[in-house]
Amino acid sequence: MSALLELRDVRAGYGKGPDILQQVDLTIEEGRSACIIGPNGAGKSTLLKVVAGILSPRAGEILFRGEPVAGKRPDQLLRRGISYVPQERSVFPTMTVRENLNMGAYSLSDKSVVAERLERVLDMFPVLAERRNQLAGTLSGGEQQMLTLGRALMVKPALLMVDEPSLGLAPQVADLIFETLQHLDGSETTVLLVEQNAHRGLEAVQWGIVLDLGTKRFEGPANSILDDPRIRELYLGTRVGSAPEVAE
Amino acid sequence: MTNVLQVLVLGLLLGGVYALMASGLTLMFGVMRVVNLAHAAFTILAAYIAFYAFTLFQVDPVVSILITMPIMFVVGMVVYIALFPRIENSPKYVEMTVLATFALALIVEGTLTYFFTGIFRSTRPDYATDSFFWGDLFVPKGQLWALAVSLVLLLALWAFLKFTKFGNAVRATMQNRTAAEIVGVNVRQVSTVSFGVGMALAGASGSLLSYLFPFFPARHWQWVAILLSLIVLGGLGSLKGAFIGAMALAVASAFVTDRFGPTWSPVTFYLALFIVLLVRPQGLFGKVVRI
Amino acid sequence: MADIHVEPVVEADEAPAPEERRGGSRSRMIVGILVAVVVLGLPLARPWISAYNYVLQVGLLILMWVAMASSWNIIGGFAGYISLGHNVFFGIGGYFSGLLLAYLGWSPFATALGAGVVAMAVGVLVGLITLRTRGPAFIISTIALLLLVHNAIDNWELAGAASGLSLPLPPLPVEWLKVPFYYGMAFCAFGAVGLAYWLAHSKFGLGLRALSQDETKAEVAGINTRMYKVTAYGLSAFFIGVAGALFGYSLSYLRPTTFFEIGLAAQMVLMSILGGRATVAGPVIGAVIITAVNEYSVVQFGATPLNIVVTGLILLATLLFFPLGIVGSLREAGRLPRWLDWDS
Repeated sequence: MSALLELRDVRAGYGKGPDILQQVDLTIEEGRSACIIGPNGAGKSTLLKVVAGILSPRAGEILFRGEPVAGKRPDQLLRRGISYVPQERSVFPTMTVRENLNMGAYSLSDKSVVAERLERVLDMFPVLAERRNQLAGTLSGGEQQMLTLGRALMVKPALLMVDEPSLGLAPQVADLIFETLQHLDGSETTVLLVEQNAHRGLEAVQWGIVLDLGTKRFEGPANSILDDPRIRELYLGTRVGSAPEVAE
Repeated sequence: MTNVLQVLVLGLLLGGVYALMASGLTLMFGVMRVVNLAHAAFTILAAYIAFYAFTLFQVDPVVSILITMPIMFVVGMVVYIALFPRIENSPKYVEMTVLATFALALIVEGTLTYFFTGIFRSTRPDYATDSFFWGDLFVPKGQLWALAVSLVLLLALWAFLKFTKFGNAVRATMQNRTAAEIVGVNVRQVSTVSFGVGMALAGASGSLLSYLFPFFPARHWQWVAILLSLIVLGGLGSLKGAFIGAMALAVASAFVTDRFGPTWSPVTFYLALFIVLLVRPQGLFGKVVRI
Repeated sequence: MADIHVEPVVEADEAPAPEERRGGSRSRMIVGILVAVVVLGLPLARPWISAYNYVLQVGLLILMWVAMASSWNIIGGFAGYISLGHNVFFGIGGYFSGLLLAYLGWSPFATALGAGVVAMAVGVLVGLITLRTRGPAFIISTIALLLLVHNAIDNWELAGAASGLSLPLPPLPVEWLKVPFYYGMAFCAFGAVGLAYWLAHSKFGLGLRALSQDETKAEVAGINTRMYKVTAYGLSAFFIGVAGALFGYSLSYLRPTTFFEIGLAAQMVLMSILGGRATVAGPVIGAVIITAVNEYSVVQFGATPLNIVVTGLILLATLLFFPLGIVGSLREAGRLPRWLDWDS
């Protein structure tokens, strides 16, 4: 497995504000889906934004397939194979579902490929197929999320980054989203998630990364990382082995 | 007082031109949140170009659109590149665009006054004063041409946005800038070209304006207030709204002119603005804007 | 486990000594007194000034613009709502007192405060309509308001319409003609700056500044943003109306373009931005500089349309390179002299 994405010593923040990402060193292996978890304010969303080109890093290097990409624009990154699904609803509200998906293929020039990809995405999300001519702004939250995901998949990205896929969604809908993401294992698309709901997120991927206070704390296989004692310390603030633990 | 149908026709004829003028302005707002207070000043600049093309080289004003549109398109892109990337990261972006374009309007107005003075100008092609009769109704030829040209250009704009790849990118950027970025649209390029297109539309409007209304440099304030009022009515950023707002207010002002005289015509637009703000601040088709 | 890094509390002996702070406000007081003495004493220095009337005229203009820019700053700077047609209040004040003089013989010196109140009332009424939205609609409405009133007066025969109305001269000997106007404008200037000073140090001003930064958060914090905005708009109109009343009288002529020409609004905006928006001293400095520059260029080059080009260029340059203005930039760089810092 080769390194798909590498972050070295990345520092970033918003406007004139403080550093949110302090010194991030991270590697995402190709074909090994990963989920970033961590407490609120850890910098998880910021990390994705920096990789996606929405925010420029203040220091450090970002390498995609060995090529430096820090500070490049989102459209430039898309052409290299990085696709991003932000936290905020980002459908085109007065375009139909189909038009939205076609916009996803904006960077592709081969028309026949686009048509084929469209069918593939509609197969993945039957709900969208039903509503293909409906205005995206009239879809429910879950449907919009599916649409945004489907749109990002139109380019068969090498790296698909999704920020909080389950945010604001009913559990069954979130289930469907995570299932779809899990299905991408084994395809050419490597998934990188950020999830507040650690259990959910880690269930869908192979590798877990814990971020706190703007740096990577530790990482490991997704199915065992939750058993790591350091997790409790991070989320609950108790030091392992120290004096009075909360009575069970 | 003239018959109602006649006034209606006169209003509709002018509505097309207002719509053309306003479309560039609302496009700029929709794509890049720019309130271009200099829009009418540039329109008048184009009117001067048309005027001199007519006076010196006998170029018909409608034909001069072929000159004014490309010139203003380039001017637009240059202005955008010179100014806006610098302002992009300001904390209160929309406000900055207002102030910067306000300054730009002053510069354009002062320069025009310096070179051309404040004398009222007008191109005078034959059709400016000709008219023909359609049943009982008297239809001024010049305004009919203006309506026809406006509709053609607006239709072309609509087709461009709906059916071309770049046009789709523009629409996408108008609807959700971040989403457009993440599907691969170069939004900086889209903004630059959109600004150019908006200015090109101002250029075409200027050519038409040159024979429809007497103009002089300081006149642009009245125009900009009229255009902005009708855009607020239609909803900032909505092309459909601009069209409907233009038609509705042009007809209303035609009735006002008929009843109270031409000096009160612009007042119709201003009053409409205040009424819209009172009753439905986001206009007919607009979304609520946060600065 | 992350090392929790705790910033040491600022050592007690590092905090600014009480004498230092008092020194700051003392230098401010000295400057304030000096300025007051110079301004108020100027007309009395007649024997030592040649071109007396001209000097008073320039002084009067500077004071007037100080009043206007400081007033604009209340809505445009502190509240963060740009008004581009703000000189509409100048004209309302001018015509209010001018018409009362022309038809009832009442001296504008008596009715000037009334003119201010009328301007303020118009501001409040219009503000109730136009300040309901947060977007650029307000800015557009200020231009529309200006043009509306201009248009109305252009068509009002009683007010002289577009050609204007002649006003009787003040009952004073010619040598002293400028003096009462000078003091009238001084009143406006001190009043407007005093109002701005009070605002900057009051809870109301704090609320205004909060809403100019983030209106949603201010609302959530319990501030009635609509009332605050409308009040600010009204307050920003008062001294401009008073100045208008006096100015019209000083010209002995009321003409719409004198008051309603948009260049006046542009000057107010430029002065505040150049000097530093949302500061008390900023508009004052901006007004002094710009008026001096304008007077100089009129003397050197005559009143040409290039003046408006220069206004636009300076404004653009300030916005692009200098958005915090003089006072703001100095403060940001930590080099604002205490006597210029009227905000804290």
